[in-house]
Amino acid sequence: MSQNIDRRDVLKGAGAAGIAGLAGCVGGESGGDAEYPAIGNYPVEGDEVVLGFNVPQSGPYASEGNDELKAYNLAVEHLNNGGGWVDMWDDLSAGGILDKTVISVEGDTATTPATAEESATQMIRNDGAIMITGGVSSSVAISQQKLCQQERVQFMSCLTHSNATQGADCVRYGQREMHNAFMTGKALAPILVEEFGEDLNFYSMYADYTWGTSNRNSMKRFLEDEGWTQTDEAPTPLGESDFSPYMQDVPREETDVLLLIHFGADAANSIPAAFDAGLDEDMEIVVPLYDTIAANSASDDIGGVYGTVDWNWQLGEEDEFAQAFVDAYREAEGGVPSYAARLAYSATMRYAAAVERAETFYPPEVIKQLEGHEYDNTGIGEAVSRGCDHQSQRDVFVVQGREPSEQEDGALLSLVGTTDKETAGYACDAGPAANCELGDYGEDS
Amino acid sequence: MSDDAETDGGTAIEVTPEDGNLVDRLVAAKDGERFVAVAAFVGVFAMPFVLIDVLGVFDTLIGLSLGGFVGLPTLILSFGIVAVGYNLLLGYTGLLSFGHAALFGSAAYAAGIFSNNVVASPLLAVVVGIAVATLLSWPIGFLSIRRSGVYFAVLTLTFGQMLYFYAFGPGSWLTNGDDGYTPFDVAGGPDLLGFLAMDASITTLFRDITGLTLTLTDGLDMTVGYMLAGLVGVLAIVVAHRIIKSPYGLILKAIGQNEQRVAFVGLNVFRYKLMAFILSGVFAGAGGALYALSKAGLTVHPDATLYWVVSGDFVIITAVGGVGSLAGPLIGAVVFEYIRLVVQGITVPGTEFQIGSLWRLLLGVVFVVVVTLFPDGIYGGLSSLGDRLVERFGAATDADTDDRRPVEEVEETGGDD
Repeated sequence: MSQNIDRRDVLKGAGAAGIAGLAGCVGGESGGDAEYPAIGNYPVEGDEVVLGFNVPQSGPYASEGNDELKAYNLAVEHLNNGGGWVDMWDDLSAGGILDKTVISVEGDTATTPATAEESATQMIRNDGAIMITGGVSSSVAISQQKLCQQERVQFMSCLTHSNATQGADCVRYGQREMHNAFMTGKALAPILVEEFGEDLNFYSMYADYTWGTSNRNSMKRFLEDEGWTQTDEAPTPLGESDFSPYMQDVPREETDVLLLIHFGADAANSIPAAFDAGLDEDMEIVVPLYDTIAANSASDDIGGVYGTVDWNWQLGEEDEFAQAFVDAYREAEGGVPSYAARLAYSATMRYAAAVERAETFYPPEVIKQLEGHEYDNTGIGEAVSRGCDHQSQRDVFVVQGREPSEQEDGALLSLVGTTDKETAGYACDAGPAANCELGDYGEDS
Repeated sequence: MSDDAETDGGTAIEVTPEDGNLVDRLVAAKDGERFVAVAAFVGVFAMPFVLIDVLGVFDTLIGLSLGGFVGLPTLILSFGIVAVGYNLLLGYTGLLSFGHAALFGSAAYAAGIFSNNVVASPLLAVVVGIAVATLLSWPIGFLSIRRSGVYFAVLTLTFGQMLYFYAFGPGSWLTNGDDGYTPFDVAGGPDLLGFLAMDASITTLFRDITGLTLTLTDGLDMTVGYMLAGLVGVLAIVVAHRIIKSPYGLILKAIGQNEQRVAFVGLNVFRYKLMAFILSGVFAGAGGALYALSKAGLTVHPDATLYWVVSGDFVIITAVGGVGSLAGPLIGAVVFEYIRLVVQGITVPGTEFQIGSLWRLLLGVVFVVVVTLFPDGIYGGLSSLGDRLVERFGAATDADTDDRRPVEEVEETGGDD
């Protein structure tokens, strides 16, 4: 692990004012000669570069994590040997990243921040990973990106939807492409009001951690703006297996809409539990963030249920990049990819492209390439990875579950609307971005 | 129980043969406090070099990443210190507690909360961690020790789980629940005594002071944080050694072997057991606070601190390393954390197969093998091997070798069974 030797020198030497030689340092990297000072796991020595894929392989979000891993491996395959978006993006070409062969290391976050942090530490310090990506839970994403900021290693968020990720807990070394709870609330609230009527009462049941609370808050804010009233709310522990007692507590008479803020195995358990309790007869059920894998296991009970998704494979009909990804995934794995897979694939490709544009693995230059980058090649339409909070401003897709009789070929959801990024988004001084202080690049200047 | 000194009316006497060869003299010195302190110091400060640099050689030689990483030794120490204290309870007093995660975790949270709300001082955080764990171990011990065996274990487990659920849900106003608590959340990280950054290493200190560049390997280039943890570790070992060798420790040992006899002699067994529990709480507090320190700016989470599985980990660490010996729990901590954090990441060369979450399976195999082959743990196995070597090469008299037999054999003659 010779890459590590003088990492801490750089970290702690900030006060020593080693400005010399940094100012005019632009240009290509040749044969591993470092043109920038060592930082994190930069410079990358040898002809291989290591990416760390830290996904939940156990715990309530394991199914989503496994789908991420399939897409990550697909991305590595494409980066090295061509195929998929590598053939379509101008920035990318087969043969690895900056002509270094991409190899990967895997970790299991176990859907808990403590484990995620430890496996990420190991990837960074033992395997010399230049970039870490993965995770399904927002608390896991946040703990990993805190570590990555400390270690000066790029973190590409995968599936994380809490406002905090690129809000109050944002970091310079983190990037998120997925939409967040705030954008979900903004996109979903008007559609729900239009669909179900005005002056309704809603009840919020949410997973008791950053993602759940931030969805509860954002849904409450935007639904109350529309004139709805929240009657009550109920937190459930992440990884709950029996939701029936919670469903019994929902006041049937006064509740018109039930918000189920659950994901992964939680969602797969809670949606059927709501139907089993007969709540669907008395109220409308809304899942603000749809988990397509959980929807699959609860497919009998999603008819008419509204929610938002990051993406859906059916978008391939109108987007060539989405289609290319679906085709490549289908060929490699069989079946259709979930949006967890798209996020994973896209995170890897976006990082690789940023490195190619920066012509170096030097993290601050790579980050600058991502900041303010406008793109339309990840299957979600036009987007910009904003510089002020590293949150991609992008369209939000509102979907509705299909009745079991209408589900065919894995098409469980219907796209009911696309809220464009101007409507769903927010300014740099508003919403979650108002709480974001990115932190430093770690350069000595 | 191989490190017993000759006893005389409750006072420990050190054997110092003036004659005899080097081997005998080393054996005789083995139980002296100075020797223990020096050995602990050398062991603790050589550990990063062995784990990171020596094992790291395999990385380059055969492409198998067996080397540890910076930060691993700190984690080993924080768990090892807890295990040293836990061993006072399990190995000497014979109490199987399943609730030490409660003490460890509470100390970690207390140190973290103190660091963010009062002052981000590592030393004071360790004091606070110890204080909280000690205060907590008193009521838990007081209520649990009234029952023995399985009921004691289950009671301690219950207390641990109560705290876990509190930290996870209702107490999240304090602990930040499932999102995890960030201790020492200060810009630039915590510093020792106001000027020594905890993550400054020898080379950076050297450069800041002299302006010259010193090149050290990762294992030798220790951080201030590790040095602090190391000193606390050495202190913990010396304190544990002193407890074990004291008359008090002998009574604890006697309770572990035959509670009735100790009661018969007129000693208050309950009080001694409670004190053993509280003493182990002191160690758990130190370990927990060091754990929080190693997580400065990162995450302390109930799953990794208060959860009952963590209690089980302490049992495994102590049992694998060697119950009833001073060095055993530390060896156990090295083995446990190494498997958990390093072996877990190994990819079998030539394949894409990674150990990954199979590490617990592997740990189970190691546990079964060690416990089957060496009932006294790895240290027990090593020390009986050492004994055989001493018998072979030492010029000692039979009296010495007799003395090295396990206590049970010496004392249980004419027992009541």
